[in-house]
Amino acid sequence: MNRFARFVVGGAALFALTASGRAMELPAFPVLVPLTGALALEGQSQRNGAVLALEDFARQRKDSRIRDEVLDTGSNPQTAVQAFERAFGRVRAMEGAKPRALMGPIDGNSMLALLPLAEREQVALLAVSGTARLTELGNKYIFRFFPSDVVVKAAQARYIVETLGRRKIALVHQNTAYGQSGNEELTRWFERLGASVVYRNSLPVTTKELAGVIAQVRDSGADVVALQLHSGSSALFVGQAARAGLNLPIVAGSALHQPSTAALLEPSELKGVCAETASAPAADDRPALAEFARRYRERFKSEPDAFALAAYDAVRAALSVWFDAKPIHISLAAGPIPGLAMPYATDGKGNMAHDAIIVCYDGSGRTPRIAKRYSRPHEAARP
Amino acid sequence: MSARGALAALGAAPLWLLAAAGVAAYGTVAGNYELRLLAIGGCYALAVLGYQFIFGRVGALSLAQGAFFGLGAYASALMALKLGWDFARSFPAAIALSVILAAVVGGTVLRLASHYFALATLAVAELLHILAVDWVSLTGGGNGLPSVPGFVVAHWIVPGGWPATLLVWGCVALGALIATNFSASLYGDGARLLRAEPLAAAAAGIDADARRMAGFVLSAAFGAAGGALYVHTLGVVSPEALQFDVMVLILCMAVIGGRNSVAGAILGALLLVHLPEWFRAFEGWALFAYGAGLLLVVIAAPEGIAGAVAALWRRWFGPPPLPAVPKTAPTAASGRPDDRAILAARALGIAFGGNEALAGATFFVRPGEILGVIGPNGSGKTTVLNLLSGFYRPDRGRILFDGRDVTALPAWRRAQLGLARSFQHGALAADLTALDNVAVAAGRARIADVLRMPGRDRKRRRARARASAALDAAGAADLAGKRGADLTASERRRVEMARALVAEPKVILLDEPAAGLSDAEKGSLRTVLRGIAARGIGVVVVDHGMPFLLPLAHRVICLDAGRIIAAGSPSEIAAEPEVRRAYLGGVPVA
Amino acid sequence: MSWAQIAIDGIALGAAYALVALGFVLILNATGAVNFAQGDLVMAGGFAAIVLAGLLPLEGIAVPGLALAPLVAVAGGGAGWLIAEIAYRPLRHRPPVAVFISTIAVGIMLQHGANGWFGAAERRTPPLIAGDALDLAGLTVTRQSLAIVATAAAVILLLHVLLERTQLGRRLRAAAEDAEMARALGIPVRRLTALAFALGAGLAALAGLLLANVYFVTPTAGLAFMLKAYIAVTIGGWGSLRGAVAGAFLVALFEMIAGRLFSASLADALLYAALLAVLLLRPQGLFGEAAGRRA
Repeated sequence: MNRFARFVVGGAALFALTASGRAMELPAFPVLVPLTGALALEGQSQRNGAVLALEDFARQRKDSRIRDEVLDTGSNPQTAVQAFERAFGRVRAMEGAKPRALMGPIDGNSMLALLPLAEREQVALLAVSGTARLTELGNKYIFRFFPSDVVVKAAQARYIVETLGRRKIALVHQNTAYGQSGNEELTRWFERLGASVVYRNSLPVTTKELAGVIAQVRDSGADVVALQLHSGSSALFVGQAARAGLNLPIVAGSALHQPSTAALLEPSELKGVCAETASAPAADDRPALAEFARRYRERFKSEPDAFALAAYDAVRAALSVWFDAKPIHISLAAGPIPGLAMPYATDGKGNMAHDAIIVCYDGSGRTPRIAKRYSRPHEAARP
Repeated sequence: MSARGALAALGAAPLWLLAAAGVAAYGTVAGNYELRLLAIGGCYALAVLGYQFIFGRVGALSLAQGAFFGLGAYASALMALKLGWDFARSFPAAIALSVILAAVVGGTVLRLASHYFALATLAVAELLHILAVDWVSLTGGGNGLPSVPGFVVAHWIVPGGWPATLLVWGCVALGALIATNFSASLYGDGARLLRAEPLAAAAAGIDADARRMAGFVLSAAFGAAGGALYVHTLGVVSPEALQFDVMVLILCMAVIGGRNSVAGAILGALLLVHLPEWFRAFEGWALFAYGAGLLLVVIAAPEGIAGAVAALWRRWFGPPPLPAVPKTAPTAASGRPDDRAILAARALGIAFGGNEALAGATFFVRPGEILGVIGPNGSGKTTVLNLLSGFYRPDRGRILFDGRDVTALPAWRRAQLGLARSFQHGALAADLTALDNVAVAAGRARIADVLRMPGRDRKRRRARARASAALDAAGAADLAGKRGADLTASERRRVEMARALVAEPKVILLDEPAAGLSDAEKGSLRTVLRGIAARGIGVVVVDHGMPFLLPLAHRVICLDAGRIIAAGSPSEIAAEPEVRRAYLGGVPVA
Repeated sequence: MSWAQIAIDGIALGAAYALVALGFVLILNATGAVNFAQGDLVMAGGFAAIVLAGLLPLEGIAVPGLALAPLVAVAGGGAGWLIAEIAYRPLRHRPPVAVFISTIAVGIMLQHGANGWFGAAERRTPPLIAGDALDLAGLTVTRQSLAIVATAAAVILLLHVLLERTQLGRRLRAAAEDAEMARALGIPVRRLTALAFALGAGLAALAGLLLANVYFVTPTAGLAFMLKAYIAVTIGGWGSLRGAVAGAFLVALFEMIAGRLFSASLADALLYAALLAVLLLRPQGLFGEAAGRRA
């Protein structure tokens, strides 16, 4: 009885603590990102980029500040939808008007669940998810500031076939949304380019011992390995392949551009590994990006990656038209928008980013160099 | 009568009214966000209600509930997207699919003991998840399928917000009704006894396999219903719905709410859907705080919130009053006119790991006769009872009961045919009243009983009436309203005797009924047993020694090291030198 | 890649799983409690190793991980003791399902605590023994694999000696069999159950240190280890230490062979299908108690 009473009192205190809201005067920019769960790594990058953009904005426009309203979407659609409704409810309650724009999570499944809600609320939804389908559903509120799978997989495939001259592909992809979506696009592009996929494997995130996969790759007679894996599996494959002496060039998805992935491997293991990505802020020596990287490192004590930069560019784009009279989803569709990673312009369906780069490691360190830049690689005529 | 007494008399009604008023008040301030959480909470509440059937009432740790939830979600979504079915068709179809899977899986794995059953259900769940992720052409793979329509009934689209939330909670209410019916029914009481004392349940004629299967299938049906509602509320279907996290969540909700309480299921679901939202203020540490909160709650209320509330209620208001039951007069058992044995064992033998516990025993009991079975420790007395009642299978020999060969029949079937038995420790369910402990043996309950309007359970009323009469006959009428947990050892044995008698058995097997009784109590027990025999029931009494049996039994057999060394009237046995040697090495027994 | 290489890699993997499974069984035997936080303790051990590696001057040491190992094991032991006092002790007289939930809650706290503190990026711990892989008769054996196998062997030996040959071990087993009786005999049951948790958690943390060098560690890594340990302990025989080790090796070898022959996703599915088959055909496992039919 005593214990129960203690519990009730403690619970009430906890409840009171959590119910307290934040400062109410500033307009809010909801940032809905996965901070927990399977995509927490990318989500945390995304959050950092968005927050940095809002802080830079405050620094530059000393008169007006827009605060971030960061909400965890938990890497699953249910929590994402709850976060959306909560953000809207709170902002409406505090400001009397709905948010003007919001950033959506990087996982495609959650974005798909949010699309109808963005339509219902008629609010611009910024995306950094590469899932192709997001812009195929005719939703006019989504703005993707990250090149979709259609773009980056074209770059990856073209680099393999046109630059490296390889035509027998071993394709190892994750069995998640990201992996399967990439697998489809890559397969389509390899067909178009006249290469053949001689080996394919669908890898769960929990599979850590890859000796069998590597042996199968070797047996298949492939002359190049294309990866579409998340950070952990990418590092596991590259490291174990190096130790097993596979000796094939590896061209991977964007996970292998991330500094956190490279940190898991020895420079010698990274030799001969390339990755596609939207941008590589930690490795790019263009002054604007180098400056961004420096500020990011100072603020977050970690290295920036393409997801952080994409989120940064997206939020800055929205902020640049925030005080326009028109709704943001009209302004963003109006014309080209400058960005750090690349120039952005809608193709009518909400895809704003159309460029990609390939970064390669030469074995001297963990920072790659930019090997090739592609502008609209998916629109090139058939070779 | 004080205010307390008046409140007690009202029962739980004011609590429900308060809850309804609270919900109505909440409804006036609820926006999209609150309605969303309420709807999701309702979907989970249905899944948890279902989980309680297998986990709470049957007591088996199933790890497949999340899988049924996800299966219902995928099934309903796929039917809507690929077949164009409306919710009125996809909902029952999704449930049916889950029920079929549960029947198949249950048939194979329910017989496994607890942790093996848990792991088997886990394996099935993981296989379903892998299937959803890898069968890309059907399920959309890791990406799932977007644009799942909302609730469409015929051509009417149920609008989001209040109408959809009410639809979900309407289903929850229906589910709660079924669950309450299950709980407050003879069938449910039987499940409780099965969970607490599986052997006693078999002796009461309850088919354990059937009841476990029913619990498992019900859990699957409810889980799928919750999943189907979930997917149309969310608008997308993806493999996250089949991940193990969902199972863990449902398990936590069931335990936190209270694993045997309908209100607990709903409370637990609502609480654990809202808790991570309440803790969002902690930002990066929100789910850490959620874990801490979960730990606090389970330590403060290990029986669940509903259990804690119920305990408080009992402490303030005392136990709930017993429903009035009319007594039925005990029908006189038809005494067989002839001398033929009602129960006979022929050359019964069984060995455990090379040790022959019983070697070729042959004996019989006639209707209205009291047969005593005596012997020193380890002579095989309890083995004989276990063989007769069906808990052991003999290696050789036959058992004939009421003219048929029952050697191959399971214990519960023999009980249903009229072979009753009591246990040494008084096997009762702690959370049932003595009356209900007896009533479970008094009627044949079926799973279909749960699908009826509440308060019209004639079967239960009749069973309770017969139970009341049986308690009278066993001299335990005053114990009817007490919970099993509150009875003393000798009280428990009297109640057990009543349970053995209530089904009007033809033979009753008693395992050391006199152990620990005072002389006076032994005397009244003898009177009771004589009364039973006088009704034409055959009585087999296992006991340690002659003093109790001498004035009681018509015939006695004596066992030693698995063999019958003497058989005859009590005085003959007492004079038998073999018997004396077996017991005390020659010292005459009283 | 030859089958001999597959076998070698499988033994190393099996040794790693064995460490996790042993800790799980220790706690199970001593308290009857299924510790759902076992996998998360492995993860926590990995992160603890990373924190400690950052604090100690390990550059240039030939055996960096070896220097860390005792510290990590002790840290794990401390966590285990804490779990025993907070999550087990208040609930020891309650139905076992309450301890499921409390250990689940502890696991959630460990996972999200790590996520909040370290972030979600994968991390790597220093190897036990620094240096290149060895070439033994044409087969590549990494030093870390050797370290894992050696550690597992040492742990199994020590546990065997502890439980079978020492007074402490006898008392532990007595407390596990019958706590009431043990208390009546003057055995400090509370301290011994805390010790069992500490041992189990220490083993998990050690496994985390070793595994995180080869397979990296991230806050969500715990569940996979938990599932593998659970499967290993069940097919080996519930409650048997020998069974836990045998089960762990079986699971590892199955994974390696299936991974070599089939696609990785199919290999995963086959593991669960094989598990179902084992449960249906020989539910008592290799060494353990018979499950059999209910009465």
